[in-house]
Amino acid sequence: MTKPVTVTINRRLVNAPAGELLIKTAQDNGVYIPRFCWHPRMNPVGMCRMCLVEIQTPRGPLMVTSCTTPVSDGMTVDTTNPTVKKAQEGVLEFLLINHPLDCPVCDRAGECPLQDQTMAYGPGESRFVEEKRHFEKPIPISELVMLDRERCILCARCTRFSEEISGDPLIEFQERGNYTEVNTFPDEPFRSYFSGNTVQICPVGALTATPYRFRARPWDLTFVESTCQHCSSGDRINLQSSQNRLLRILGVDSEPTNQGWLSDKCRFGFEYVASPARLTSPLVRDKAGELQEVSWGEALDYSGKALGEVISRSGGRAVAGLGGARGTNEDAYAFSKFLRSAVGTNSVDCQMDDGLDPRLLSAIVDRARIADLESAGSILVWGPDLKEEHPTLYLRVRRAAQELGAGLVVVHPRGTGLDDRASVKVTYQPGRGGEVLTELMDGNGRMAEAREVLSNGPVVALLGRPGYGESPDLAEATAAFVRSLPDATILPLARRGNVFGALDMGLSPALLPGRVQRGTLAAQMLADRWGELPAASGRDCRGILEGLESGDIEAVVLVGADPVRDVPDGELARRALEKAGLVVAIDQFLTDSSRMADVVFPAMGFSEVEGTVTNIEGRVLKVNRLTPGPGQSRPDWAILSDLAARLGVDLGLVSAQQISQEVEELADIYRGVNWERLDWEDRDGIVVSGDLGYVPVFSHVASVSPRPGEMALHYARTMYDDGVMTRESPSLRPLAPGSGAHLHPADAARLGVGEGDSVDVTSVSGSLRAGVVIDPTVEPGVVYVPFNQPDTPSLGTVLGVKVSG
Amino acid sequence: MVEIRSPSVRRGWSESTRARASEIVKQYPDPRSAVMPLLYLAMAEDGYLTDNGMREVAGAVGLTPAQVRAVASFYTMYKRDDPGRYLISCCTSISCMLLGSDEVLRAIEEESDVTAGETDPEELISVEHVECIGACGGAPAVTVNYELIEGVTAEKARELVRWLRTARPDAIVGAECQELFGGRRSFDWGPFDRDSALGPYPAFGPLGTVSGPSEDQDG
Repeated sequence: MTKPVTVTINRRLVNAPAGELLIKTAQDNGVYIPRFCWHPRMNPVGMCRMCLVEIQTPRGPLMVTSCTTPVSDGMTVDTTNPTVKKAQEGVLEFLLINHPLDCPVCDRAGECPLQDQTMAYGPGESRFVEEKRHFEKPIPISELVMLDRERCILCARCTRFSEEISGDPLIEFQERGNYTEVNTFPDEPFRSYFSGNTVQICPVGALTATPYRFRARPWDLTFVESTCQHCSSGDRINLQSSQNRLLRILGVDSEPTNQGWLSDKCRFGFEYVASPARLTSPLVRDKAGELQEVSWGEALDYSGKALGEVISRSGGRAVAGLGGARGTNEDAYAFSKFLRSAVGTNSVDCQMDDGLDPRLLSAIVDRARIADLESAGSILVWGPDLKEEHPTLYLRVRRAAQELGAGLVVVHPRGTGLDDRASVKVTYQPGRGGEVLTELMDGNGRMAEAREVLSNGPVVALLGRPGYGESPDLAEATAAFVRSLPDATILPLARRGNVFGALDMGLSPALLPGRVQRGTLAAQMLADRWGELPAASGRDCRGILEGLESGDIEAVVLVGADPVRDVPDGELARRALEKAGLVVAIDQFLTDSSRMADVVFPAMGFSEVEGTVTNIEGRVLKVNRLTPGPGQSRPDWAILSDLAARLGVDLGLVSAQQISQEVEELADIYRGVNWERLDWEDRDGIVVSGDLGYVPVFSHVASVSPRPGEMALHYARTMYDDGVMTRESPSLRPLAPGSGAHLHPADAARLGVGEGDSVDVTSVSGSLRAGVVIDPTVEPGVVYVPFNQPDTPSLGTVLGVKVSG
Repeated sequence: MVEIRSPSVRRGWSESTRARASEIVKQYPDPRSAVMPLLYLAMAEDGYLTDNGMREVAGAVGLTPAQVRAVASFYTMYKRDDPGRYLISCCTSISCMLLGSDEVLRAIEEESDVTAGETDPEELISVEHVECIGACGGAPAVTVNYELIEGVTAEKARELVRWLRTARPDAIVGAECQELFGGRRSFDWGPFDRDSALGPYPAFGPLGTVSGPSEDQDG
């Protein structure tokens, strides 16, 4: 801890930590110093000169940029005297020499730092009569971002963000002097997963986002804070709408989670909410086999009767539930209660065959928090490519390695976004992770150096399943070993928006709400409220799909679930839904799965319902409502509650807030977590702990190799894919990379194919034709295929595939 | 959807140029420090700085092409336009200016009919004025394809242009030009070390041409 110092700002004594930047000390003490280039989450550069203040030195008063001056004891600062005022007016007059006065047609007008600060600190008039510099008016620098170089004041916020924070500096200052401009390389667009952040931090209207341009004026916007549901990091966002239509999402600077940054998927992936393809009315399959619009009463009667028949004929065990990780905790709780107390089944899975043990995910001992990365001595990342699947977590790890000096070990079957900051990067063949783990444990072979790095505590390990070819047991075995490292904490990775909340609400065969295991005393207490709990153990996602295929399970309820596209073995899911006697889907869209349902209920979703979610570290956060749901859509919990009533069971659910209170009463760990706190003093969320303390079990994970003549498949997700939320967002849809077969140059040569040629990739469960991408980051003998791309069939959870030219 | 310029056809460096680049990179503790010498190498490879060249430099030092272009576009002596076969650079900094470089430049412009900063339609001769080229002792100084000629007069400069037009030499050899068109030299420049990776731009090409290394050189 640094010793606090005392500084005099405008004749007032204030305390500050030594070394803090003057501009921040002033701001924290109610003195706003105007600025353009300084951003609290980036290193200072002192480029715009707007934050000049006067400090007293032994040699008299001195003008300094407050964004580059650390406070020191006894410092005397004046931010408002005539000298400072004159400097501010001068700087603004200079900045406006070339800045066009096109505010009436500029998207930034009304929320523009340049406009606001010119009004507050500017000279009012300019002495410059010369011609301003001219550039071609907005040029697209990527599919999502437009650049107007005339408006740019060269503060370097965007270029610094892309170099310091996101690590993909595809934009830079070009040319010199009066010709300086921000631009990309001529044929390399600003295709960054984080490009939208530069638009948000641009202090003028130079960078604008294509999805928002000319859609609204800032003063017409209605807004509310909420939480992003694209991944499980729990990023805080500001939803903004005009005329009941969601138009923009901005990042909120929340210290524990996203620190102001968002991925483009989170920022622009809201367009699906207003998609014309949204379901607006319940659908029931008629005698001719077509889905027809019906009234809510008919749809509920039909599905209640059909479900009731299955239950009375074969018992609740013949019914299963899939999904629930896309909604709120309240919706997940309703789903869990519906299945367990109205239907009587434990077969429910929200993880959709991502394969990790739910107890490992949400109830592991020594569970890390995201903030632990800030103080980590070393970090182990062995799981999905964070940049693709947990983008803001990726930024946090990057920051820890780059700015805070943590050692970083990255283990992955191919190159990842973190490699350039990794102390040690180990690439391996999928299926042989067990060998790598043994080497890590012994501290030899490829992992000798990694073991050395990881001897530096505290260790934070981010563990998950790197791809579908990898055994899910590997993450657990690694977790078991990691616990022996100094001060180790573990953050298990699962990507779905509210998967951790859904697990906490009991959407897995093994867990009941509140991370309670079946058959325990706590479970007995739950039974007092819910009525008798089903005795038979349930099946997980794969078990459910296999059960449906074999007929052991007759009916399935899908809640925001599209197993045909989303489960690694999509063909199994398709066969399962074809064989199922009854499929009831609660969904926002007709997906490949809900299209096969007998009944489809239109659900409200993101920005349409209020509730809570739980993020990857167990932090409960509030999601809020801003826009109405389309047509007759309703919240999941209300649909499930009505469905239960048709089965003759009153779930006792009245409103989302009442459900949240019920969870609070019923689940020990959620005690004290209520909407009032989350809406006001705890907007950054409340971490629920008091875990089950699940101790990961070490098991020897045997290495598997593909059969002779086959290549090892690395089958993993990308940020943009054919998921319904991306597909129905017009701005993001074109960004999915499409199917591809990434081959090592040696394999490409062996197969006699080059970049852009096509190859057939064939597994036991599917086959696809994909363009060859020469990728030196994969090991020889490995083919990487991105999962769930538009118009591509699934390859399944297999290790070996045949690749032929 | 927004129209985005698609990547141009990419032509990589030869293996030997890449090897040269990695040797240069090795001389610096941080690879990105090698950007500027590598940009000279890229110029030597293509005759001027092409997008492909900058992309190769980026690959060699682990930066993005945009970052490399930021450096390249800051400095005027990294040429991003294709010059003519002969690039005549006339120094107009203080020493040369005092000793008559304005007349020399005017003579070159008149004789070649090319304004400074431009290239003739035949793409034979480019003329430019440059800041100090470090030959103040032999002012006024001119370089042709970066080969130095010192003590040039307006008359000699006209002769030089006429000679380039008619003789069209395959390679510009500094010593030869100095003899034909130069005057007083600043000092003996010593033997030419064409393998020095740290040397000035001509060190990357044979005898000061911009056509890249050739095999017929002796070491």
